[in-house]
Amino acid sequence: MNVLNPYLKQYKGTQIFLIFTAILTGLSIIAQAYLIVLAVDRVFLQGQPFEAIVPLLGWLAAALLLRAALTYASGRAGVRMAAKVKQEFRRRLLDKFSKNPVQASLQGQSGQKVSVMLDAVDEIDSYFSRYIPQVIQTSIIPLMILIVAFSQHLYTGLLMIITAPFIPLFFIIIGIKTQKKSEEQMDKMAAFSGRFLDTLQGLTTLKLFGRSAIQKDAIRESSYGFRDATMDVLKVAFISSLILEYISMLSIGLIALELGLRLVVFESVTFFTAFFLLVLAPEFYLAIKELGSAFHTGRGSMGAAKKITDELEKQDQPVVWGDKQLEGLNPPVINLNEAGFKYGESGFELTGISAEIKPYMKVAVTGRSGSGKSTLLHLLAGLVAPTKGGIEINSHPLSSFSEKAWFDEVSYISQKPYVFSGTIAENIAIGGNKNATRNDIMNAAQKAGISEMVSSLPKGFDTSVGEGGRGLSGGEKQRLAIARAFLKNPSVILFDEPTTGLDLKTEQILQASIKELSKQSTVITVAHRLHTIQDADLILFLENGELKGAGTHSELMEKAPDYRNMVSVQQGGDRE
Amino acid sequence: MKDLAIVMKEVGRERKDIFLSILFGFTAGITAVGLFASSGYLISKAALVPPLYALTVMIALLKFFGLARAVSRYGERLSSHRATFSILSNLRVNFFEKLEPLAPGIYQKYRSGDLLSRIVGDVESLQNFFLRVYYPPIVLLIVFLSTIVFTMFFSVYIALVLIVGLILTALVVPAFFAYSQRKIDSRVRQQRGELSTEVTELLYGFRELKLYQRLDEKEEMLKASSQKYVHEQEREGIQLMFNQSVNTAISLMISWVVLALGAFLVAEGQLDGLFLAMLVMISLTVFENATPMAALPGNLEESRTASKRLYSVVKEKPETALEPIVTLPESQALSIRFDELSYQFEGEDQQALNKVSLYLPEGSKTAIVGPSGSGKSTVLMLMLKVLHANQGGLQINGQSIKHVNDEDIWSKSNVVLQDNHFFYGTLRENLELAGTGFTDEAYKNALHQVELSHFDLESEVLEHGENLSGGEKQRLAIARAMLKGKRLWILDEPTSSIDALTEQDLYERLFAKAENDTLVLVSHRLTGLEKMDQIIVMEKGEVVEAGSFNELMAKQGYFYQMKQIEKSVFG
Repeated sequence: MNVLNPYLKQYKGTQIFLIFTAILTGLSIIAQAYLIVLAVDRVFLQGQPFEAIVPLLGWLAAALLLRAALTYASGRAGVRMAAKVKQEFRRRLLDKFSKNPVQASLQGQSGQKVSVMLDAVDEIDSYFSRYIPQVIQTSIIPLMILIVAFSQHLYTGLLMIITAPFIPLFFIIIGIKTQKKSEEQMDKMAAFSGRFLDTLQGLTTLKLFGRSAIQKDAIRESSYGFRDATMDVLKVAFISSLILEYISMLSIGLIALELGLRLVVFESVTFFTAFFLLVLAPEFYLAIKELGSAFHTGRGSMGAAKKITDELEKQDQPVVWGDKQLEGLNPPVINLNEAGFKYGESGFELTGISAEIKPYMKVAVTGRSGSGKSTLLHLLAGLVAPTKGGIEINSHPLSSFSEKAWFDEVSYISQKPYVFSGTIAENIAIGGNKNATRNDIMNAAQKAGISEMVSSLPKGFDTSVGEGGRGLSGGEKQRLAIARAFLKNPSVILFDEPTTGLDLKTEQILQASIKELSKQSTVITVAHRLHTIQDADLILFLENGELKGAGTHSELMEKAPDYRNMVSVQQGGDRE
Repeated sequence: MKDLAIVMKEVGRERKDIFLSILFGFTAGITAVGLFASSGYLISKAALVPPLYALTVMIALLKFFGLARAVSRYGERLSSHRATFSILSNLRVNFFEKLEPLAPGIYQKYRSGDLLSRIVGDVESLQNFFLRVYYPPIVLLIVFLSTIVFTMFFSVYIALVLIVGLILTALVVPAFFAYSQRKIDSRVRQQRGELSTEVTELLYGFRELKLYQRLDEKEEMLKASSQKYVHEQEREGIQLMFNQSVNTAISLMISWVVLALGAFLVAEGQLDGLFLAMLVMISLTVFENATPMAALPGNLEESRTASKRLYSVVKEKPETALEPIVTLPESQALSIRFDELSYQFEGEDQQALNKVSLYLPEGSKTAIVGPSGSGKSTVLMLMLKVLHANQGGLQINGQSIKHVNDEDIWSKSNVVLQDNHFFYGTLRENLELAGTGFTDEAYKNALHQVELSHFDLESEVLEHGENLSGGEKQRLAIARAMLKGKRLWILDEPTSSIDALTEQDLYERLFAKAENDTLVLVSHRLTGLEKMDQIIVMEKGEVVEAGSFNELMAKQGYFYQMKQIEKSVFG
């Protein structure tokens, strides 16, 4: 349970409070037993009148209410501490993710990260809200009862001290004995539990082949398989609590036997002492047993904690920025000097990219899939920092400029532009400065050829899109991204050209828009279309993360055999 | 509540385990009461007249009750959990029986990937229904009633106090808290949804957020939304703690009243002092059974929501064919005609298909092409009667599709979908979907046809065909369709993950096999379409062009331009 302990240290105050409530709870348990026994003793054995015990009853009511109030106070403190820890973990994860997630999202781990941020953090809860308060209670309350037992009757105290360790001991022994078997069953359970989903997902195929009816029995069978595997695991857990129960019963029995002997045969203890201890004994064992169940919940949290700390300990590849401003109205001169980038320790590597990109140039980046085209685009965008070589803007390193100064000049149109949940207007406005007017937005939409589609919607620009809103087709998303670029009017445009599946209109709009945008900007395109490449002033031809040629189309056709090969294969593919 | 009745019925099937759960639950509860009652009684007895037999009896009883309680608890847990998992199995089968007639149309209709995992999750969450809602109150009631009857022999007043306690802790308090809990629960769910959206947007939209310098803003929003979510969770947790503490306080106070009243009665001489300790011990013990009642409303609410959501999916009636039902001929190629057919997905404001007319004569070969989202697959789903047109006519073999059973169409067509399902099992079992009557030779030949002869019939296929590549899965699906050998071929991008060369070979064999059959192919590539009798070009749910390859190329229209773009695109 080490991973979470450092976090616990920050909550000294809560822990002291929990210790304090545990002590008070112990006191109220003892007081409760004491007062009940005293009252019974007085009216029953000593034959005192009812009035004699009224003050006792008053105290007892106070002790009982105090006990309930303490349960609440301690539970509440646990819940509060858990809430703070969860918030703290989310904040740290957020810091971590926002520093360095471009590579992460490229590695296709976003789904996993969402789950860490939501589910894993929630699973931490029970460690702080239940396990910790229970541990504190268990380490204090039995001790207090023990002290009382010793003060009342030495032998009861001794019996308690001797028998108590058997509970954790057996708990551990059973745990060790059964762990392997449980793990075997877990695999089986996992296999069975997916079967229902599998059948549901395959129902279309089954129906089309007229084979769905027999699946009913398959579902029943796998459900029963799951049940039996689960029951095997549960049986172990139930037996372990059965044994723990036996041990505590046996111990209480021993205490009762000893007390009974003294009371009846030797008459060496009073009714009061015997009854008092007999009421306290179950409380003593209960507190120890409860630690066992809390231990299970605590262990559940550990897996989640591991996931979170793994995420937090991942290496960063942060991007460094300075405070220089970009000057001049023209697009900047971009120089790549042997620039390279490597994902993590053993990830994909892009090396030795050198090129000079002059203002208003049309640059095409091309190569087979996996050759490093997108990585180069990310380097140029400033979304990742070069791990080798450097990028210079107007002869100054990119890292010397301020983040804002650079990003203000850049637009990035990806293959799958992200649509945020919000209205269409808001989604276009994300591209421009924050005080873009409605008119600016509509103009940008007009230029991107999307305004016709938008106006055909009942709510027009106020239609909600993204999560929970209207779905947009691939072509519409592309046009939305173009509209963002028009609104922003940047001096460098990075464009990841779509492959296929777009409608003709979007194709035409893309061409026309890029042409229009390139009048005011340098356009760097990851190109998938021959004419984009042919039109380019500079082609960067990549293969396996290396620059295999730079120049115009005709230059490369002449001097780069791999490039010539790629182009001719493409055209040869048509002759079928 | 009606949906919960269905669940209740499925629960009712496990009579034996229900009976055992209640029985063991009862013995566990009552022996605990007996254990503490006898210890209270005997120690009092021992204090008064201490004969040796009292001691022997006391120890024997303590042992007996103690063992009986532990064993009963074990039996209760075992049978109640076994019942729970059997019930889950019943629920799955029951739900499947309801879903099966509606599939696959219902999958198309919802169009949401998480529908199925939601179904699975909802069934799972119903496991708490039996375990925490259904049988514990019954056990509680029987234990209490027995205890109260026993108490009545000693003091009617104290029995009355216990009845009041039962009503308070098992009924009034839980009911009182149920309402507030319900509101908090829905707020927690809502905040979780909001946080989930924020996290997803931050991670998936990161590049855009970063470049457009909206990241800080988004981070703040995420922090705030996390804060709200955690805050609601905190409130929920504290409220739950409060409910439990109030319930505990009440049951402790009831024991206090028992003690006070008992002491008073003893002092007044109306109750033998011998029994006072016993009655107090009974009261302290019996209310332990009532503690879980505080959590019951929450579980009930959860089960209610789950069953409601679950059964709302399968609420509608399956579409049945109109009388007179026409059976399609077995050994004849079929023709298909669409007449101004329109279709709109539920909850979408645009027509997926808008007045589509097309004709596929028997034995013809047709390709449907167009950008993604243009309605190509919807056309196929309508032909298969998986979807039902909102407007217009659809004829199959000259008959209105309304008079044809959907299963009749399926049994007479060879279908390859974009996403073909493969089940956990062997390759043979997955091929056997097409029919079990084939020889090994036939199966192997089918594999040979799709260039998978290196596969063994007994090779293992994992769930979803995880151990197969995309191309292998598509080739297996084609093999399945070829084995089935019916006269109508419906193929939805069957070769999108197969390289161009293999694709060519496959098509050659496929077309040879389907020579005299009707075939319709949705294709994302525009190559190899020269042999088709007709090419239908779709965009935005409409047919923009139709004709043979040469006609369309000569026309220099939409298809021609698509072809030009495709020519220039690098893979």
